[in-house]
Amino acid sequence: MEYVKTEATQAKPSFQLGAFLRKYNLLLLVLVFIVIGSLLSPKFLSVQNFLNLLQQSAVTGIVAIGITFVIIVAGIDLSVGSVLAFAGMVMALLLPHTGPFVAFLAAIASGAVLGWINGFVSTRLTIPPFITTLAMMVAARGLALLLTDGKPVFNLPESVRFFGKNLFGIPVSGLIWIALTLIAIFVLRYTTFGRKLYAIGGNPQSAHLTGIEVNRYITFTYVISGALSALAGIVLASWLTVGQPTAGSGIELDAIAAVVLGGTSLMGGVGGVGGTFVGVLLMSMITNIFNLLGLSSYFQSIFMGIIIVLALVLNKFVIQKKQ
Amino acid sequence: MLKTLKKGKFVLLTTLAASLVFAGCSGGEQPAADAGGGDDSSKKLVIGFSNVTSESPFYTALTDAAKAEAEKQGADIIVMDAQNNIEKQNADVQDMITKGIDVLILNPTNPTAVTPALEAAKQANIPVITVDRPTEAKVTSFVGRDNKAMGEIAGKQAVSLLGGEGKAKGKIIEIQGDAGGKVMMDRHDGFHAVVDKEPGITVVEGPYSDYVRAKAVKAFQDLLQAHPDVNLVYAHNDDMALGALQVLEQNNMVDKVKIVGIDGLSEAVKAIIDGKYSATVFNDPVKMGSLAVDTALKAAKGEQVSEYVDAGTGLIDSTNAKDVYSETAVFAEMK
Repeated sequence: MEYVKTEATQAKPSFQLGAFLRKYNLLLLVLVFIVIGSLLSPKFLSVQNFLNLLQQSAVTGIVAIGITFVIIVAGIDLSVGSVLAFAGMVMALLLPHTGPFVAFLAAIASGAVLGWINGFVSTRLTIPPFITTLAMMVAARGLALLLTDGKPVFNLPESVRFFGKNLFGIPVSGLIWIALTLIAIFVLRYTTFGRKLYAIGGNPQSAHLTGIEVNRYITFTYVISGALSALAGIVLASWLTVGQPTAGSGIELDAIAAVVLGGTSLMGGVGGVGGTFVGVLLMSMITNIFNLLGLSSYFQSIFMGIIIVLALVLNKFVIQKKQ
Repeated sequence: MLKTLKKGKFVLLTTLAASLVFAGCSGGEQPAADAGGGDDSSKKLVIGFSNVTSESPFYTALTDAAKAEAEKQGADIIVMDAQNNIEKQNADVQDMITKGIDVLILNPTNPTAVTPALEAAKQANIPVITVDRPTEAKVTSFVGRDNKAMGEIAGKQAVSLLGGEGKAKGKIIEIQGDAGGKVMMDRHDGFHAVVDKEPGITVVEGPYSDYVRAKAVKAFQDLLQAHPDVNLVYAHNDDMALGALQVLEQNNMVDKVKIVGIDGLSEAVKAIIDGKYSATVFNDPVKMGSLAVDTALKAAKGEQVSEYVDAGTGLIDSTNAKDVYSETAVFAEMK
């Protein structure tokens, strides 16, 4: 009895430190960068700069929420950038004819449908999602370009510029991102739907045996990803006041990097949207610091690559230490 | 029975012979017509146009203009999109040569790696006209624009907006194109050749934003934090400059900061008319496309063409914005 007790008291503090580091190492990294940023540039710690950061992160951030859902069920979605562009074009083209409400709904619905196709082909036709969504990435980009023969749609009416404006001094796009993050955290943590997603990502066979309709749930994560990409497309188009068929190319890489940086495992079953939020913020912060200092974009790219790998190594190291 | 068979054979043979003679005749006729100059005769000239991408409004406008000019001059045109892929471009050109073209218009994805396409054209004895971007190797003619001159025009306008030659004063933020790109370097050098002579002007060179508005918006937000005392923004294209305008609008600073871009994007011309944007510089793809086809057809007919055909440029500001604005065209067209 006594022997067991001492072992427990010895093991407990180191275990807690490990758990703490594992859970919050990304936040520590953010703190380190805030300190570095404020030491290097007096403008970094201003309120305006943080509001800018929020706006700069919002589009990638909204996309990354959807990708987090997909990655939790061990999937991947490469089509987000093209879906974003397509939905942005749908909205920009419909606006003058239908008004903002219908245009928004149609754009989000179009994203959801493309997402559903991703999910259907991956699960029912058992094509690997990497290939399915790669095909969708190419096809949806083609669709976006086809809509206007490659031309951008400008002179968007004043009614949609709302997303590029501020509400109580805070960028609307940032507020949407924060709200969606909170909703997603709630859904993943406190609903049966969320718990089922983790179960599927952890072990689809046993999830199936417990009676979860695995294919339906996986398909639904792609619908979420498509719809959120579409929303990001709307936000981007109204912020930039233009619908561009080339919008969002390469955004899938930024978003996936942020998700992984945020501690969600590409193997599925582990992670969450809170980490993704911090991951997106961290990546924007690094660019922000480099821009404020006026350093070349070459260094930015190199540094970004190093940070992504370092964060993952740190993660792995802490997990191994714990075990 | 035998007789009818023989008769049948005879008919067959005569038909064959007749068709052979006919074929021989028409075969002999065509080269004669070609030797006669190739104009107004039965055979239409065929242009092959390998464009670099169709994912940019500038290049789709270039393609459309080339098609329109070819139709106007009564020539056929085959257009292929290299999708920014040099291997596809080389293969496309070879396919077009196999199909049978009289002249090649090439917008090279890469100035040197396009050599296999040039070799194939040389072997087939087909003249090559490069458009928009030159190749390293010498071709029949290059139809393009002087991006340095465009930078200079933007620079002169910036100097006059900030107080005029010798007296200009202020801080300029420069939003740059793609790292290491030839167009970016020319637009940078041309601008600096004018602006750097002014002791009262300082230029902050911003990060590369790849001519993309979304990237320019983010970069400019940060730059505006670091340099709230900026007087003028110069961007290497209008798409990026419009991104800066968006940031300035959000910060209620439109009337404090002047904006100069390049390309003559209709959206920018509209902003000039609305008084939110100072100036831009013509980079009209329609003029360039029709000039390229015109030059190509001359070369195909064996006429002398000059090695460099300048598609021209010029300033667009509040004095002429209304005259060149069009709601339907993506780029302002030079008159």
